[in-house]
Amino acid sequence: MRYRWLSLKIALGLLIGPLAHPLMASETQRCAVDDAGQKLCLTAPAQRIATLSPGATELTFAAGAGDKVVAGVNHSDYPPAARKLPLVGNHTRIDLEALLALKPDLVVTWVTGNPPAQMELLQALGLPMFAIEPRSFEAVSSAIERLSVLTGTEPQGFAEAERFRTGIAAISAQYRHAEPVAVFYQVWETPLMTINNQHLIGKVLQLCGGVNVFAEMPRLVPRISPEVVLQADPEVILTGSVEGAIDDQLDHWKSYPKMAAVAKNNLFYIPASPISRPTPRLLEASRDICQKLDIARAR
Amino acid sequence: MIRSLLALSIIALLAAILALAIGSVTISPAELWAVIQGEGSALHRTLLWELRLPRTLAAFATGGLLAVAGALMQVLLRNPLADPYVLGLSGGAAVGALLAMLTGMGALLISGSAFAGAMLAMVLVFGLAHGTGSWTASRLLLTGVVVAAGWGAVITLMLALTPSYKLPGMLYWLMGDVSYARTPWPALLVLALAIAVVMPLARNLNVLARGSMQAAALGVSVRPLEWTIYLLASLLTATAVTTAGSIGFVGLIVPHMLRLVLGNDQRIILPASALAGGTLLVLADTLARTVIAPEQLPVGVITALLGVPTFLYLLHRSR
Repeated sequence: MRYRWLSLKIALGLLIGPLAHPLMASETQRCAVDDAGQKLCLTAPAQRIATLSPGATELTFAAGAGDKVVAGVNHSDYPPAARKLPLVGNHTRIDLEALLALKPDLVVTWVTGNPPAQMELLQALGLPMFAIEPRSFEAVSSAIERLSVLTGTEPQGFAEAERFRTGIAAISAQYRHAEPVAVFYQVWETPLMTINNQHLIGKVLQLCGGVNVFAEMPRLVPRISPEVVLQADPEVILTGSVEGAIDDQLDHWKSYPKMAAVAKNNLFYIPASPISRPTPRLLEASRDICQKLDIARAR
Repeated sequence: MIRSLLALSIIALLAAILALAIGSVTISPAELWAVIQGEGSALHRTLLWELRLPRTLAAFATGGLLAVAGALMQVLLRNPLADPYVLGLSGGAAVGALLAMLTGMGALLISGSAFAGAMLAMVLVFGLAHGTGSWTASRLLLTGVVVAAGWGAVITLMLALTPSYKLPGMLYWLMGDVSYARTPWPALLVLALAIAVVMPLARNLNVLARGSMQAAALGVSVRPLEWTIYLLASLLTATAVTTAGSIGFVGLIVPHMLRLVLGNDQRIILPASALAGGTLLVLADTLARTVIAPEQLPVGVITALLGVPTFLYLLHRSR
C-alpha cells in the first residue's frame, strides 16, 4: 500500500510535502533505513557508488544506478556492464586504499559477508554506508526501492521492484495447488551442505510447491552427511551449475540407485549465479526450478 | 653495540617511510612531505593519517613485541626452537577471539577477548607446570606444548561448527592481519615499557642463559627472574596477538638472525630484536598489501617467505 502511494507521489511531482517515512525523498534529504537498522540520509543523490558484494552490484544496477557504480569486488559479473568495473578486492577482504582512491559517496555493503573490522573503519572515516541483505522476496524489492531513493533513480528502481513483485506473485498463484514434491537442494558436494527454509533458496523451493526435506534444520546452511539424505529420500535433487565447469556434482548420488531421485533420474542442474544471489534474477531461477519440478511431477 | 643499534634504527625508519609511501595509491616523497606539513590532497591525508600510519606503527610494534618475546622465551627455556607461541598463548588468544566472532561481537570486544584468552592460557600453563615438584624449563616446555595442542583442538572444533559465512573472518584472524589494529598506541606502549623493564635485567639473563644452577651459583636470584621473564614474555605475546592475530615466524627467527650477526649478548639482542622484528613486519606488511593488489595477502605468508631465505643465507655465511 505504502509503495503504491509513493509511486503516485512521485508521479505528481513535488505537490505533496514530505512525510515522516523511512522511504522519504524530498528536495533536501534522501533517507532510507538499511538492513542493519541504520538510517542513512543523503543530501543529494549518490553519484559515485561502491558495491562491496556481487549481489549489491546487481541490486544497484537493478535500481537503475548502474552508470554511477565506480567500484565492485571479485565476482561482480552481472549485468555484463559490471564486469568492466574497477575491483577493490574480495568481499571478505577489501583493499581500503583502492576503495578510498575512487572517492565513493555511497558504499553498499553486505551485512554478514563483509569483514566487520573494515566496515567499522570505513564508517569511522565518514563514508556513507548502506548495508543490505535481503532474506525474502519482498526484501529484494524493498532493497531495490531503497537503493533507488538514495541514488535518485526512483522511476527505474520502483518499476523493477514492482516487476519482480508481480512476477513472484504470478508464480505463487500458478503453483499454489501444485502437487508437493520432496526436494533436496545440494549447495556443495564436499562437505555436503544444504539450506533450510529461512534461506532464499528454500523460499524459492516453497514457491514452486517443493518441500525442502531439510526445511526445519536449525542452521541456515547445515553441513550434513549422505546418510540423512538417504533417509529423507527426496524425489528431486537440485544443485547449481557453474558456468564453464562440467556438471558432475550430483554424480556421487548415482551410487545409490534405490534412491527415488536417482531411480527416476530427477538429478537437475540449474544456473548457480541467479539462485545464489538475492536479486531480481531469482525470478528466472524460480521459473527454472518450477519447470524442473514439473518435469519431476510428470515422471 | 651502539653502532649496530643505530644502524638498525635507521633501517627501521627507512622501512617505515617506504611503507607510508607505497600502497594501492603511490604517494611520492614530495607529496608525503606535503602531507606531513599539513597540506596535500584530502585523499593523501586520509590515506596517510588514517590508514597507513596506524597500520605501519602497529606492524612495527607487533613485530617488535613478537621478536622480543621470542628472544625472552629462548633464554627462559634455554631452547633455540622456542617461539612466543610455544606455551599455548596464541592458542588461548585464538579461542578467545573466535568465540567473540562466533557470538557476533565488535572489533574491540574481539581484541579484549583475545587478550583474556592469552592471559588464561598463561595462568593455566603456569599453574599446571608448577605442580608439586620443582619448576624446570623442560617441565614448562612440555606443559606448554601439550596445552597448545589442546587449544588447537578447540580451535578446530570451533571452525568445524561455525556458520560458513563467518569462516573467512576467522581464518584471516588465525593467519594474522595487521589491518585489524585500529590503534597502535597500546602495542607501542607495551613494547617501550617492556624494553625499559628488561634492559636492567639483561646482564642477569646472559648468566641465566648458561644454566639455572650456574646462574644461582653466581648470585642470580633465579626463580624470581624466571617468573618475571615468563610474565613479561606472555604479556608481550598477548599484546601482539591481540593487535594483529597470530603472525608466525617473526618471534622464532629474528632473534636467531641477530645472534648470527651480533653475538649472544642479551643487552644487544633484546633491543635489536625489537628494531629488527618491527622492521621485518613493516616490510612484510607492505608487501602483503601491495604485491597482488587489490587482493590482500596474509602477512604471515610474507614473513616466512622473506625470513626463510634471509635466515638460511645468514646461517650459511656464519660457517
